[in-house]
Amino acid sequence: MQIYTIEAILLLFLIFITICIIYSRDILSSVVVYCGFSLCAVLLYLMMGAPDVAFTEAVIGTVTTIFYIVALRKIDRWCK
Amino acid sequence: MMKDPFGGIILNIAFRVLVPFSIVYAVYVLIFGEISPGGGFQAGVALSVGVVFSRLILGEDAPFNISGASALILAGIGTFIFVFTGWISVLTGGHFLDYGKLPLRMEHVNEIHAMGILSIEVGVTLCVMATVITILDAIVKRSDDNGSA
Repeated sequence: MQIYTIEAILLLFLIFITICIIYSRDILSSVVVYCGFSLCAVLLYLMMGAPDVAFTEAVIGTVTTIFYIVALRKIDRWCK
Repeated sequence: MMKDPFGGIILNIAFRVLVPFSIVYAVYVLIFGEISPGGGFQAGVALSVGVVFSRLILGEDAPFNISGASALILAGIGTFIFVFTGWISVLTGGHFLDYGKLPLRMEHVNEIHAMGILSIEVGVTLCVMATVITILDAIVKRSDDNGSA
């Protein structure tokens, strides 16, 4: 029963983070919060018994964050 | 190549301490990929993190740097290793990627399977690592050409 509670909390957190990413005016903070999204997804995959997928998600979350931040040097940080 | 890298004293020291461990961990993930979570893809990305960080933090004078052109050649070599391992078993009378037909002298057939899977994972690792470096090279080149905001 407790594991379901933790899963429900993590799923709600995923939805909350997604809404934050969509409505944020600062693109850099969106990228950083996306890291938290990736972390919650990793924990969920681990609880559902897929450590391989969790590992892939962790690695891809790290590298895509780096790519987004490098790409942000070109464009303006604030969206108008 | 990045014209103005992200470096600073904290990033430089953290880079020196963390990157060797990440590379050793990537090799561990590659070797133990058959019996534990992980495999070629994850090992390749974890290996490329060392090169990506060194290029982002140190810029022009990065210690281990793989340029975009040689990364493309490396990706081709990785793909060649994968396909070559597959075709060896075709040449010895099996199907494509039929590990049991590999011409290796081992006592048990499971060991031949393990060696075949390992050589394929090495190919995947090289290809993924070179591809991630190529993507970073493309992004950095484009942002350097147009100037940063």
